[in-house]
Amino acid sequence: MSEVPGDGSVQTSLHIDPYERNWMRLTVVLLVVFATAVTIAGFALGFQVPSPEERVDPNTVAIGDGPFGEPGLRAYPDGSYDLYVVAQMFSFAPNEVTISAGSEVTFYVTSVDVQHGFKIQNTNVNMQIVPGQVSKLTMTFDEPGTYDFICTEYCGSAHAQMYGTLTVEK
Amino acid sequence: MAVSRRKSKDMEEITSTEEEFHPKGTVLVLAIFVLVLILLWATVYLILLSRGMTTV
Amino acid sequence: MLTTPTYELTKSEKSFISQHLLFAFIALAIGSLFGPLQAFEFSGVDFYPLLEPVIQSYYQGLTLHGVLNALIFTTFFITGFLTLTTIYGLKRPLKYPLLNRIGFWTMVVGLLMAAVPILLNEASVLYTFYPPLQANVFFYFGLTLVVVGSWIEGYGFIFTWREWRKENPGVRTPLMTFGGLITMVMWQLATLGIAVEILTMLIPWALGLIDGADPQLARTYFWFTGHPLVYFWLLPAYVSWYAMLPKQAGGKLFSDSLARIAFWLFLLLSVPLGFHHQFVDPGVPAGWKYIHAILTYAVFFPSMITAFTVIASLERAGRKRGGKGWLGWIPKLPWNDPSVSAQLLAGILFFFGGIGGITNASYNINLVIHNTAWVSGHFHLTVASASALSFMGISYWLVPYLRGRRLWSRKWAQIQTWLWFVGMLIFSNAMHVLGLLGAPRRTPLGEAPYVPDEWSGHLLRTSIGGAILFVSAYMFVFNIARTWWSKKLLAGPDEEVEIPVAESVHPAQETPAKLDWWTPWLIGTVALILVAYGPQLIEQIGNIDLSSPGFRP
Repeated sequence: MSEVPGDGSVQTSLHIDPYERNWMRLTVVLLVVFATAVTIAGFALGFQVPSPEERVDPNTVAIGDGPFGEPGLRAYPDGSYDLYVVAQMFSFAPNEVTISAGSEVTFYVTSVDVQHGFKIQNTNVNMQIVPGQVSKLTMTFDEPGTYDFICTEYCGSAHAQMYGTLTVEK
Repeated sequence: MAVSRRKSKDMEEITSTEEEFHPKGTVLVLAIFVLVLILLWATVYLILLSRGMTTV
Repeated sequence: MLTTPTYELTKSEKSFISQHLLFAFIALAIGSLFGPLQAFEFSGVDFYPLLEPVIQSYYQGLTLHGVLNALIFTTFFITGFLTLTTIYGLKRPLKYPLLNRIGFWTMVVGLLMAAVPILLNEASVLYTFYPPLQANVFFYFGLTLVVVGSWIEGYGFIFTWREWRKENPGVRTPLMTFGGLITMVMWQLATLGIAVEILTMLIPWALGLIDGADPQLARTYFWFTGHPLVYFWLLPAYVSWYAMLPKQAGGKLFSDSLARIAFWLFLLLSVPLGFHHQFVDPGVPAGWKYIHAILTYAVFFPSMITAFTVIASLERAGRKRGGKGWLGWIPKLPWNDPSVSAQLLAGILFFFGGIGGITNASYNINLVIHNTAWVSGHFHLTVASASALSFMGISYWLVPYLRGRRLWSRKWAQIQTWLWFVGMLIFSNAMHVLGLLGAPRRTPLGEAPYVPDEWSGHLLRTSIGGAILFVSAYMFVFNIARTWWSKKLLAGPDEEVEIPVAESVHPAQETPAKLDWWTPWLIGTVALILVAYGPQLIEQIGNIDLSSPGFRP
């Protein structure tokens, strides 16, 4: 495995058909275009994915004095909200939340038992909820309506029942 | 020695049939594939953009 | 210098490979029972209550489906098939047949050990087994043995190749052997992730030696293995597409050099991109997710090379068979050979698998579809089509070859491949659409309270596609079973089944010797893994927090 095998007397060359060579070039161009579009959306427009926020102890996070001890909405004078959500088999606390249209909400979600998912339908809020970690994303809700947030990771027998509702009022 | 004999046999075949083979059909099939790829990828990209920003 | 032009496998070699296939097909037969149960549940037809007390829950069924079809069927088929490509390609017996037997029986013991808790509903944790969901410890022991057994078989192939290399200096490794070796070497590196996860975290935790697991670190370990697992499934199909299918279609491989370059790139790029499965994880920095997204784009490149090389090989074959015009070569291909039609249809389905894959990998676009039915729709186009349908196609010549018996029904086989194609188009399209609409994966949607009416048509299509796939799977199993135990032995030389070996348009010996040289690629592979994973592994292991107690689902 350590040496180039001998060539014998045979003339070797890398045969690449000109059509295939152009196909490889096109592939590279296509991938660069896709990467550029994704990069612009992510870093110029602000369509971002979650990043580490905070480590917590899943056994105590929901019973202490911290924000998850009393999950729910925190309203701020500028009209924005923080929403702390505790996920557990097989419900979210809180599971009904009402905000007013046009407000910016920062979601902080953690789990006290197994892994869960937190996906708000018809939005890009989609997070893995991992015990010991806090998942965080911020989004502004301009459209009034009802948005279900559902558990998207298998968490046990009644996983399909696990959801809540976010109401955006005019 | 066996190598060179095999090689010369294949070279004959290459000169008789290979030189005219241009994979034009392959190019067409893959062109259709790339168009579908761009179309479907862009559809999901636009769904992302339409659903609003998520910042950290 | 070139070894003998033909090599007939000995009876014991054939029976050793057959044993692999037997376990693979039994796993496929049992695992496929549960696929349609999921699909029917989506339309509100729930058969699970009827299965009690044998099968106690939807998730026990889903675990059986995932573990048996995606892990067991594939691993046993692949190790068996690659045993053939090793010895038939190199035209020599295994260097240490006993070693490979030990590997195989280790896998069997592992399979049985994992099967018991699954069947007792003590391991309904699905095939990703994310902690803190906890399975009976024998589930973890069993999976470990399956992986270790596959390693041992891989060592057996490597030792055999090294022996061949000594006997044949300067000869290019035959492509089918070369692709198989790359698959197994990649697999050795890739499975280090779940090996560390299971041995250092899950087993001590399931035994009560440590109080808790670190679920985030476990995910990072898992996906170190989880994505290259896809290439472990896929590369053996590529071996057939490159090194066998052109011959079956009546032509030659269009480019031996590019085939080898593609395989090297898969070795280099299969592992260092696992964070693209963790884009929405809280514990991985966005910057690293972005780097892995770009590396995933890079691994798209060798698949695009494969698309061109394989299709051009087929076009060349179709033109030799009289195909004219831009696309006239397509109907001239031997579609009436079920082995060929299976692989052609698998390739077409894989086009859509590729489109979905590049979408999944696209960083923030992943927010749209993460953990939705889209993902299950996607991997049914990869592992359950590109791989599984190709493996079925391979089986249509491999089983007659190994067993010395005529295929029970070519007609059934042909219909079976088309049914798989049609069923999969319906099923996977519906799943992709459901995902875009927000339907979660791994969820009995028939009982979920939040399902809007808008989904119902697509849920129904999932059920219809699933039913067709089930019929197709059982037509395959039935055909193979009838062949396996058939009384019609192959008679005479004109019935002989030949192992298809595609020559290259430019003989392999003209391929640059550097493309048969492992050292630089291995160094590059290890280096890239260290760069892409090292900093995060140090960070996450350094901050390990074993505080999550287990929960039995």
